[in-house]
Amino acid sequence: MKLTVTLGVATLGAAAVLALATVGAAQADYPERSIGVMIPFSAGGGTDVPGRFFAAEMEKILDTDFVVSNVTGAGGTIGATQLSKAKPDGYSLGFMPVGTTTTQPHLRKTSYNADSWEPICLVAQGPLFVTVLDDSPIKTIDDLIAKAKSDKVVTGGPPPGSLPHIAQAAVALAYDVKFNYIPHEGINEVAKSMLGGRVDMAIWFSDAKARFGLRPLAVLDSKRSAEFPDVPTMAELGKPVESFVWFGFFAPAGTPEAIVTKLSDACDIAANSDSFRDNMKKAKRQVRYMPRDEFAKFFAQQYEQNGNLLRDAGLIK
Amino acid sequence: MNLGENLTLALSQLASWEVMLAILVGTAYGTLVGALPGMGTVVALVVALPFTYSMETPAAIALLLSIYCSSVYGGSITAILINTPGTPQSAATVLDGYPMARAGKADLALGWATFASAFGGVFSLIVLIVAAPQLARLSVHFGPVETFALILFALTCIAWVSSGSTVKGLLAGAIGLFLASIGPDNMTGLSRFGFGVDALAGGLSLISVLIGLFALSEAFTRAAYYREGKPPDVAGVGFRMPPWMDIRLRIRMLLQSSAIGTAIGILPGTGATAATFVSYAEAKRTSPRREGFGKGEPDGVVASEAANNAVTGGALVPTLALGIPGDGGTVVLLGALLIQGLVPGVQLFQNNPEIMIGAFIVILIANLLMVLFGVLGAQGFRRIMGLPEPLLMGWVVLMSVVGAFAVRGNPIDVVVAVLAGIFGVLLRLAGVPVAPVVIGMALGTTLEQSLRQGLMLNDGSFLAFFGEPIAVGIFAVTVVFIAAPIYSALRKGRGA
Repeated sequence: MKLTVTLGVATLGAAAVLALATVGAAQADYPERSIGVMIPFSAGGGTDVPGRFFAAEMEKILDTDFVVSNVTGAGGTIGATQLSKAKPDGYSLGFMPVGTTTTQPHLRKTSYNADSWEPICLVAQGPLFVTVLDDSPIKTIDDLIAKAKSDKVVTGGPPPGSLPHIAQAAVALAYDVKFNYIPHEGINEVAKSMLGGRVDMAIWFSDAKARFGLRPLAVLDSKRSAEFPDVPTMAELGKPVESFVWFGFFAPAGTPEAIVTKLSDACDIAANSDSFRDNMKKAKRQVRYMPRDEFAKFFAQQYEQNGNLLRDAGLIK
Repeated sequence: MNLGENLTLALSQLASWEVMLAILVGTAYGTLVGALPGMGTVVALVVALPFTYSMETPAAIALLLSIYCSSVYGGSITAILINTPGTPQSAATVLDGYPMARAGKADLALGWATFASAFGGVFSLIVLIVAAPQLARLSVHFGPVETFALILFALTCIAWVSSGSTVKGLLAGAIGLFLASIGPDNMTGLSRFGFGVDALAGGLSLISVLIGLFALSEAFTRAAYYREGKPPDVAGVGFRMPPWMDIRLRIRMLLQSSAIGTAIGILPGTGATAATFVSYAEAKRTSPRREGFGKGEPDGVVASEAANNAVTGGALVPTLALGIPGDGGTVVLLGALLIQGLVPGVQLFQNNPEIMIGAFIVILIANLLMVLFGVLGAQGFRRIMGLPEPLLMGWVVLMSVVGAFAVRGNPIDVVVAVLAGIFGVLLRLAGVPVAPVVIGMALGTTLEQSLRQGLMLNDGSFLAFFGEPIAVGIFAVTVVFIAAPIYSALRKGRGA
């Protein structure tokens, strides 16, 4: 009897050692199989394009397949919820934008929050611009504000709570005016309204000019953009409103330290590689790399700041 | 550079074995995936997208464009042979295609579908070549008020599409409209009817409901009757080109359906599914053979298939000329162009005209190849249809479930598809047509959004809607379409 027990304990012990060894080995050999990258928006969209560029670089560096899946719907929260519940073993990762990770949790009762992630690195970041149609009589921000005061300014963007929506509210708040916001299903619909002359102004990314011939009036950043050096910043105009869209690489919280380190090292190479920068440049997108620790701080600060912005805009209590 | 030089440059770019192979593979693959229930145009494109990264730009564009065009055609094959539209765009093809197949004319139905698809595709391509920039500029002036009027008009199609009881058809349409209201409310950013289920926050996917209502309910119904007697066999599988006499008889129908498809395709956000039903309803209203609709009239197949393939060229108009995608498939195409380093929109037309011309040539070749694959594939379809029924339907169920999941990667879509399948069986037993559910669901979101956007733009005044001439015109046509049958029914009633 005693022998059996001892034997049992021994077996257990051996099993535990074995299990530990496998865990250790798994982390050392990571990645052993293909890695899934979840992108919470549809293929070909604003998040998908940089996400796929990035995944292609990571694939080369870690020498394994990065299988991109688009889990779409509800501002990216469906995909993010799925990822937050995935096994944190380093084989389920996500490429997610600012809205899904820092505004949606405040707006909806998402089952994930700031603590659900292990931020790996920041990959891309670009400021938003206040834009109008090229032949619009509005030439400066002052013209825009004057029109808002004397008449009305119709602006459009994705559903309330989206980044452009918060940004236009912040600009309006800074000048103590109000813009008439018309929500659209997506950014493509806004372009249609803009070109059709139903919307006077839209908050847009840096590809506004190349894609739709829109004219930027101001950049919502602390410094001027390299692409539009003549466009003033809001700070220069005396109203320091800033708003960026950014894309980060995330693992679910609880992913082993060794794996996150390995991924963030690979990210450093990927985000700074020539081919990635080339691809992003061709698609009129900006690369912005932030290593793990810096990104984690940045993420926490953005999460809080966007929550406050939403409260100021009266979108949440 | 003039047109001649651009054409030469385009041809030289296309004249490589890589591009030719891309078109060949793309068309074959697109037709096949389109035919699989649940795997629609978008899934076909997304699966192919990663392969384009390592390809040269002309080959990448050729691959995706041929998939885009041919997948729309592929949907008609399963619609005709097993009463299951492979894509939502082919939902209207079922209405006459399947009765034709049951009457032993499957080969002819496929012939009509193939011919009409290629006709619609080429028709819209010509429009795209001739007038893309002009039409694109016009399309942006079609605002929420006009869109609302158009969708309202499209909803009247339910009355024409539902054979049998009109009341049951309208009921089904209302159910569809309600299903569309589940999920995100784009006007406020909030979720509706989610019942606290996170996965429902994105709403129901049209494709999974379609899979349930058509494919799964078909499989369930057949399973239920399997032991009682052999279900109706589909006879005459193969491929038979419709005789020239019949084509000449229907040339007006082909032109009319292609024009409707192209026009609706050009308006971003309306969609191919709406186009096919509008085209079908219009055909049923105007065809001299309208008595045979719903019982296997080739006009019905022509109306649906010419229109849905014409949408491809139409949807490419705003996509290529303005960078605003016209439907789900063109969103993926747009992304692929971005990945290739080409920014679609005003500048692409000016800076890279050879790419545009190349794209036109690819679409033309793909549309012609489609006919070839239709003819060659017929042998394969015959084999597949010869499989024992449990095996065939089991395969349909399997593909359906995979398809439902593949669209958004959301497991709840599989649950939704199965529930929709059970619901579809109940509807069939009650004699309620299922097609109007799809129409309601396909149009519901846009109907609501355009109404609310229109009201917001006009400070909440509905009266302002009647200040827009185009909208007023569409409203008037809608009223006539609703009133005419009522009036004639009343007169007939009085006469009797």
